[in-house]
Amino acid sequence: MRIAILEDDTSQSELLSHWLQLAGHHPHPFEQGANLLRALQNESFDVLILDWNVPDLNGVDVLRRVRQQLHSSVPVLFVTGRNREDDIVLALREGADDYMIKPVRRLELLARLEALARRARHVQDQAEVLEIDAFKVDCQTRTVLRNGKQVDLTAKDFDLSVLFLRNIGRLLSRGHIRETVWGSNAVVTSRTLDTHVSRIRNKLGLTPEHGWRLAAVYRYGYRLEHLDQAALQRLTADDKAAAV
Amino acid sequence: MSGTAQQREPGRDSLQPRVVWLEKDLEQLVTRFLRRKEAEVQRMRAALTDADFEFIERAGHDLKGAGEGFGFPELSVLGAKLELAARGRDKELLEAHFGTMERYLKRIQVRFN
Repeated sequence: MRIAILEDDTSQSELLSHWLQLAGHHPHPFEQGANLLRALQNESFDVLILDWNVPDLNGVDVLRRVRQQLHSSVPVLFVTGRNREDDIVLALREGADDYMIKPVRRLELLARLEALARRARHVQDQAEVLEIDAFKVDCQTRTVLRNGKQVDLTAKDFDLSVLFLRNIGRLLSRGHIRETVWGSNAVVTSRTLDTHVSRIRNKLGLTPEHGWRLAAVYRYGYRLEHLDQAALQRLTADDKAAAV
Repeated sequence: MSGTAQQREPGRDSLQPRVVWLEKDLEQLVTRFLRRKEAEVQRMRAALTDADFEFIERAGHDLKGAGEGFGFPELSVLGAKLELAARGRDKELLEAHFGTMERYLKRIQVRFN
């Protein structure tokens, strides 16, 4: 998972990042609330870990803006030393999904993060077979069937397909896609990413005539949408209007 | 740390140094952490001279949050005490806690496996 950490204590931030990396996640530390909010304009994360007491905007201010201004439903876990009941209640009422009081324990933190992501449906068991519409994705054999026929995919195409199919309706930033599919250290140009997206769009038939749309969002990333009948009718009407 | 040790009066060695075994992959992080905390005692002493209790409260709060995660629950306990003493603007108690922290950091033996 791609996880943003708002924490101004360098030692604590390093430790959390270390634990997350060991567990196979991609941590992104931020020391100031404003910097995290700025990043959220262009980047998507699977979970946000927020400390309360940070300079400039505190964790609750950040949470309010995430929910009210960015209209984001990204899962938020508070990790803070504030242990008063009214603090915990306030954070949860403002939209935090979970709350941990420092010092936190590694395994518990990881389990809570996984639970949050599971509830948000961003992460599923690797052994799971996904069955969505005409697609059957087997993550163990790394194969995708479309209407019962196997689709010929490269390893990267497969990873990209799974990422989108596990995040239907969710806007994924380019950074998020790059990091999840190619890894944190890979240098991948925008053109390479676009080429792969275009390829899986064609191979999997992620187009409106098949009830799907894999849409590019300018300067941000991509979103896979499963079109319902109403959306399909609207699209058809738009096409007809454009043709007139 | 035992409950008995926690109940001792500050100023005495309420935090018994001990050998701590940690995982090898934490070596760099822990070494940096301990070095930072050594420097932080000096910064807290300077803050006390300037009556900057907020700084000490904040440093104590951070120590409380991070100590146990790094394998030093005693430092988390001490962090909580520092935070409380700073909030109460208790200079004498803070001095005692600084001494305890210095002695602990000096005598702690960390080994990695």
